[in-house]
Amino acid sequence: MEEKEKAYRLHLMVCAGTGCVSNHAFEIKGALEKEIKKQSLENEVLVVTTGCNGFCERGPLLVVQPGNIFYQQLTEKDIPHLVEEHFLKGRPVQKLMYTPPKEKTPIPVLSDIDFFKGQVLIALRNRGLIDPEKIEEYIARDGYTAMAKALNEMTPEGIIEEIKKSGLRGRGGAGFPTGVKWEYVRNAPSTNGGVKYLVCNGDEGDPGAFMDRSILEADPHSVIEGMVIGAKAIGASEGFVYVRNEYPLALSRLNLALKQAREYGLLGKDILGSGFNFDIKVHRGAGAFVCGEETALLHSLEGRLGEPRPRPPYPAEKGLRDQPTCINNVETWANVPVIISRGANWYSSIGTKTSKGTKVFSLVGKINNTGLVEVPMGISLKEIIYNIGGGIPEGKEFKAVQTGGPSGGCIPKEKIDLPIDFESLTEAGSMMGSGGMVVMDEDTCMVDVARYFLSFTQDESCGKCTPCREGTKAMLSILTRITEGKGTEGDLVLLRDLAESIKDSALCGLGNTAPNPVLTTMQYFMEEYETHIKDKKCPARVCRQLNTYIVDENTCVKDGRGCDLCKRNCATDAILGEKGKAHRVVQEKCIKCGVCYDVCNFNAVKIE
Amino acid sequence: MVNVTLDGKKIQVEEGTTILQAADKLDVKIPTLCYHPLLDPYAACRVCVVEASVKGKTDLVTSCNTKVLEGMEVKTASERALKARKLNVEMLMAQAPAAEPVKEIAKELGITKTRFEIKDPNEKCILCGLCVRTCTDVVGAEAISFIERGKDRTVAPPFNEPSEACIGCTACAYFCPTQAIVFEDKYGREIIHDELHLGPVTAIRVPIRQAVPMVPFIDKDACIHFKTEQCKLCEKVCEPEAINHAMEDEVMEIDVGSIIIATGYDIFDAKKNAVYGYGRLDNVLSGLDFERLCNAGGPTGGNILLKDGRKPESVAILHCVGSRDRNYNEWCSRVCCMYAMKFAHLVREKTGAKVHEFYIDIRAFGKGYEEFYNRLMEEDVIFIRGKGAEVTDVAETPEEEGKLVVVCEDTLLGLVRRVPVDMVLLGNGLEPRRDADEIARKFNIGCSHEGFFLERHPKLGPVHTASDGIFLAGACQGPKDIPDTVAQAGAAASEAMAMADRGTFELEPITSFINEELCGACKTCVALCPYTAITFDEEKNVSVVEEALCKGCGTCVAACPAGAATQHGFDDEEMFAEIEGALSVV
Repeated sequence: MEEKEKAYRLHLMVCAGTGCVSNHAFEIKGALEKEIKKQSLENEVLVVTTGCNGFCERGPLLVVQPGNIFYQQLTEKDIPHLVEEHFLKGRPVQKLMYTPPKEKTPIPVLSDIDFFKGQVLIALRNRGLIDPEKIEEYIARDGYTAMAKALNEMTPEGIIEEIKKSGLRGRGGAGFPTGVKWEYVRNAPSTNGGVKYLVCNGDEGDPGAFMDRSILEADPHSVIEGMVIGAKAIGASEGFVYVRNEYPLALSRLNLALKQAREYGLLGKDILGSGFNFDIKVHRGAGAFVCGEETALLHSLEGRLGEPRPRPPYPAEKGLRDQPTCINNVETWANVPVIISRGANWYSSIGTKTSKGTKVFSLVGKINNTGLVEVPMGISLKEIIYNIGGGIPEGKEFKAVQTGGPSGGCIPKEKIDLPIDFESLTEAGSMMGSGGMVVMDEDTCMVDVARYFLSFTQDESCGKCTPCREGTKAMLSILTRITEGKGTEGDLVLLRDLAESIKDSALCGLGNTAPNPVLTTMQYFMEEYETHIKDKKCPARVCRQLNTYIVDENTCVKDGRGCDLCKRNCATDAILGEKGKAHRVVQEKCIKCGVCYDVCNFNAVKIE
Repeated sequence: MVNVTLDGKKIQVEEGTTILQAADKLDVKIPTLCYHPLLDPYAACRVCVVEASVKGKTDLVTSCNTKVLEGMEVKTASERALKARKLNVEMLMAQAPAAEPVKEIAKELGITKTRFEIKDPNEKCILCGLCVRTCTDVVGAEAISFIERGKDRTVAPPFNEPSEACIGCTACAYFCPTQAIVFEDKYGREIIHDELHLGPVTAIRVPIRQAVPMVPFIDKDACIHFKTEQCKLCEKVCEPEAINHAMEDEVMEIDVGSIIIATGYDIFDAKKNAVYGYGRLDNVLSGLDFERLCNAGGPTGGNILLKDGRKPESVAILHCVGSRDRNYNEWCSRVCCMYAMKFAHLVREKTGAKVHEFYIDIRAFGKGYEEFYNRLMEEDVIFIRGKGAEVTDVAETPEEEGKLVVVCEDTLLGLVRRVPVDMVLLGNGLEPRRDADEIARKFNIGCSHEGFFLERHPKLGPVHTASDGIFLAGACQGPKDIPDTVAQAGAAASEAMAMADRGTFELEPITSFINEELCGACKTCVALCPYTAITFDEEKNVSVVEEALCKGCGTCVAACPAGAATQHGFDDEEMFAEIEGALSVV
């Protein structure tokens, strides 16, 4: 409370998302506080930890308010200088600011940076601005006003109508209209005296996707507020948040937020004097990917084996403990309060005809600005990758982008102008999914990418239905065969048959979408498959078993003086030569591990 | 009602019907693996996929769990459905190559071999989950579940160790379509359906085929419901809803005028006489075992087979097992010679096997019996006079290899013989019921020294007992064959009727009575009375004799310390008068 009464000259917003924390954000915070005290600025400068800022590539991050000055890639050593120069003497430190690739002048203000410029923040509205561990800060940003409005001024039907009108669609992947789902649950009869449940799906499992974690870490109250509004709409008095146990920070902040909300009377009995009762329990998931599937999640929530069951009946009709249950994803819940407070018309003005609002994407892979971005629906891939993402590192050429995680597909560079919404992605053979976006450059082998995602789904398949359990195994073995140069042309036919049949006949979403990486890479990059099979070559040089490693004798002697490094590192003594002389690879002995290629400092080892 | 078109045929079915059920009504066969009509559909094998269109939207759905909708058009063997079905079956062939149902479906679909990698050629489990669902949803034991996931998924008990939760009901094995479940007796816990040699195979059964009334009953010891309070599958399938698990045994009190005791006999337990190897050696059967074996309603449908399913080529029948034997029962059981000869006849007739009868002497008394004996000799049954001394499976000569050898002293030839046979049938003797003592006490009747109930007089009262109104019928009184039993039962019934018809019965002239003034309420007489004729009147605080029960034995008179118990006609005054009268002559 003391902090509140005090006014500070400067607020130092230290990003404490998981990415920055693992980059020692807390040490930076400690160093800042120590240095501020040393300079006797503790009454003028306040250090605040915030949730994920989004620009994870550049962590640890610090934003100075007011002024919105953005510092990045800080180390503890930089702190004394920074505190003295900027916070004491008022001279922002240029060398700690962000300089876009290929440019020389740093950009001091956050909002001027391309990465942030193109973003529209709704679900992530409070990121970097509040301390997620303090409910007061959420409330100060108009938090819980939407809930108050919903509880005291709106009818359940009114809330549902508003959400329907906003055009909000589920952010978990399938994009089912949220308002319609709520209406189903509201109208579904309960066999247990009107008991209905509400679940927040935070079992984020796609490789490379971390928006749910980030929202829970940066703004847990927005999810809680959204859930209370939803509960009022569907008539539930008990809610669950299913979060994977691998998200310890998200879990602790969520639990803290729930505790604070209860203390403030924003959860529990008679919320805000409205007579409405609702409370939320946190359930930790054990990390099975399939538990992100709603029916498997419900099984897991009931303490049973996390495996999906056929739908219908949908959870809206028969969900948790056989009662009508509304399941929405973390990001969906976080959108709800904004729609209620700012109105459906405002929300639906953003986005495309069928997909409204914004979507959070985690931008990863071969891209300059790795991080979390929230963009309006309908933005083109190109804008995300080149403007916000800053393009491909090292001037390499963009090849494809994989959206929707292991369930999605690869979209090639020809389709880079594709406007992103639920329909267009599905049409391109991929899907929105939870919003993972893996960018690939020319060094990526598409067959290997398909193999990687298949190995993931094969591993994560629950094994209940035949197509998913046996089919992913069969597809993976064919893909492995191809990447090892043992593929035949018949394999391609079988692979396609399998992919189509699995997509058609698997039990749940995991199996239905598991073939997508294969189908899209086959659709857009067939020539790569053919090169692997017919020429036994991997154009991207990724599939090592198809590579032939040779030492360019000229380069070896000329630049490297025959350093012998490759020979010393070769596990199978496949390299012959002496120090000072040219080396040579004995192909019969080479196991194609690629170590010689990696260790050569003179690029004398070539791949053919 | 819902109108559906299935493979071009129109049908009207009830709402909530699945595509599979609708197809069944039209005799359209859709192959299934993980489906069982008694369990909830699981939709895991994806073999029953069909193409279904509603309102212009066509999808591939599993027919086992998809409910029909109005106007739905189903194609059970469209190109798309067949493609998926075939691939799924082909993949299952690779995953469980030894599973017969998969092979059958593959054959029907024209798949000869799988293109996928076979990990274990002996694998039978297709992971259909029927066992897990049975154990969880039906049995309620939850002793098995799936462990691991994806390609490593298997069915196992917790921690992959024999489970304490398993009740050994073998229901999982029953539901398993591929015989992938094998039972092992780890804790010496009985495996319910395998417990009896030639015994019952299910918890619901008709006691015997000839049972009257011919009504099945639920064996509480074997029924899963009484172990886990779940299952009740029988209730589900019983259309007339005749099954009620809540029914309890009832004890009823009925007032009757007379009682006929016909509690029968026990057969001699041949395990007591270890030399015959009963219960230890395969193919040594008791008389009752054999009756069950050659019964048309028995486990082999009446075929006489060895344990390994072969027909026996030679059979030995041993007489006097437990009878006429000082070590066990000294009496002749009367029926064994004849039933042993009936066995010989049946074996000859059904199998043509060589039959040896080992006897002490043949007791084929009475009408038709001796003739039967003669007929058997014509049927080439070999009678060897000599009691079987031992049955062993230890071979001494090559001919005895793999056979049972009956050792006996042939008293006609004066030789010790070893006869190798495939099967040994024992002519077990008859014994009193093991609880005959208790019954005797309850009804105030006596037992002879063997333990059979004692009749009042061997010639003059063969169906009567010492207690009026209580009669005997059948082998509880002594070994008897069926005609004798029926005759005696008829007699007992007429005696009982005659008594009821009279409406009265004559009391013994000499009975005891208690002088109430003298009775000291010590209750000595109550405990001593062999006919439970004396009760204690708590109100008056005296013992009372029920004259109808009193036989005038005088035990109470002799024992009464107060001299309160007296016999009619034998009180002190009368005795002295009698003495005086006798002495007056002198």
